[in-house]
Amino acid sequence: MNCHEFEARLHPYVDGELTVGETAAADAHGADCRRCAELARRERELRQLLRRQPREAASPELRARIVARLRGAERRAALRPWVLAPAAAAAAAALIVAALLPVVRPPAPLVGDLVDKHIAYAQIERPAELASADRGEIEEWFRQRAGLRITVPDFSPSGIQLVGARLAETHERKAAYLLYEKGRTLLSVFMVPLASSDAALAGTRVAYRGHEYLTQERKGYRTVSWTEGQAVFGLVSMLDYDALLECADRLRTERAAQTRL
Amino acid sequence: MGEARGGRLLLWGKGADRASEFEQVALVHLDALYRSALWFTRNRAEAEDVVQETCLRAFRSFHRFNPGTNCRAWLLTILRNVFLNRVRKEVREVPEGDATFWESSVESATAVGLADDNPEEAFLQTVVHGDVDRALRALPLVFREAVILADLEGLSYKEVAEVLGCPTGTVMSRLSRGRGLLRQSLRGFAREHGYLKEKP
Repeated sequence: MNCHEFEARLHPYVDGELTVGETAAADAHGADCRRCAELARRERELRQLLRRQPREAASPELRARIVARLRGAERRAALRPWVLAPAAAAAAAALIVAALLPVVRPPAPLVGDLVDKHIAYAQIERPAELASADRGEIEEWFRQRAGLRITVPDFSPSGIQLVGARLAETHERKAAYLLYEKGRTLLSVFMVPLASSDAALAGTRVAYRGHEYLTQERKGYRTVSWTEGQAVFGLVSMLDYDALLECADRLRTERAAQTRL
Repeated sequence: MGEARGGRLLLWGKGADRASEFEQVALVHLDALYRSALWFTRNRAEAEDVVQETCLRAFRSFHRFNPGTNCRAWLLTILRNVFLNRVRKEVREVPEGDATFWESSVESATAVGLADDNPEEAFLQTVVHGDVDRALRALPLVFREAVILADLEGLSYKEVAEVLGCPTGTVMSRLSRGRGLLRQSLRGFAREHGYLKEKP
């Protein structure tokens, strides 16, 4: 080993990350070369200095608080298994339908934001502000809370049950967020009024039952989005595209029926 | 996945058992989590918040933890994500994708190299209380986190790579640059204290 090779391996050498053979070669070079031996000594010295830093412990209060929260979380989760298992829920399926309101700054890709929101909601204890399986109640809640007139679709024929809703925000607009589950699987639906400044949705064009949708995969979730009337909708899920498109079509059909009334 | 879950559920049974198991497997690392959070945030109250959120998140995804793998590295990965999310929220807008953000910091630090070092200097012995803290705080996050995990918490390159989600080669180069920057700061402090002569 020469000086150049030694220097290139200096850090893994002092960190004990080299193979036995490489370590022996570095040792041998260090025995012959004062400068390189000094470099290694100096690095070890810095490491020791860092490791000698005062090591504070977590306070007993913090520990007690965390244990109490864990037990609380466990009790709540027992009521809704998928809250306990966001990954399983995500892996099985999750669905987000979205629609947009007025935009202020150039938006990050909307679908990406919805996927992030879905992931975030899957991790919080009570993703739904209003826990309800009553579509009428949820529609009324959005009307009163935010003046949003939305359609809460019925996905139960596909085995997907309504769980609740919350008022979400994306791109500085209020978005209606509906929460469904299929078995242990979380499924979310967003709806936000459209702004003139919105960029066109991105993705691969897919036609399904006479309508066009955009599909896109992000962070392992499948998304289906479309613009309709004054809103953008997007579905995000681990479900296959067939199931997502089926939900999209159902939402579309129900909206059309409601508008006609 | 369904199979693994079923097995785990049987193993865990119901009720408080799961919290007990989590306490035994994960909460033994609470001090390490708190220390790291403190190094990340430099603020006790914030560190406690970060640790609490980390534990709750870890508990909720405990079924994803693979027994037999390194629990501390797994927890630190979650902790780092919790911390970064907070940073992003505060900053409002971090450029899309971490890479740009990180790599620009890397660029600015590449200027630091061996050329500046004189192997004969023994200024590290003059480091006074608080210097290391100050030097660490001045370190860009991308290097600070590598140094925290490897040097302060004693994680292996492989574990650090797992936590940071990057190749071990990247861990090595970040550590190398991070330590170089730290040394540079410490040398500056030694000069301030008058232990080291200014360069002519």
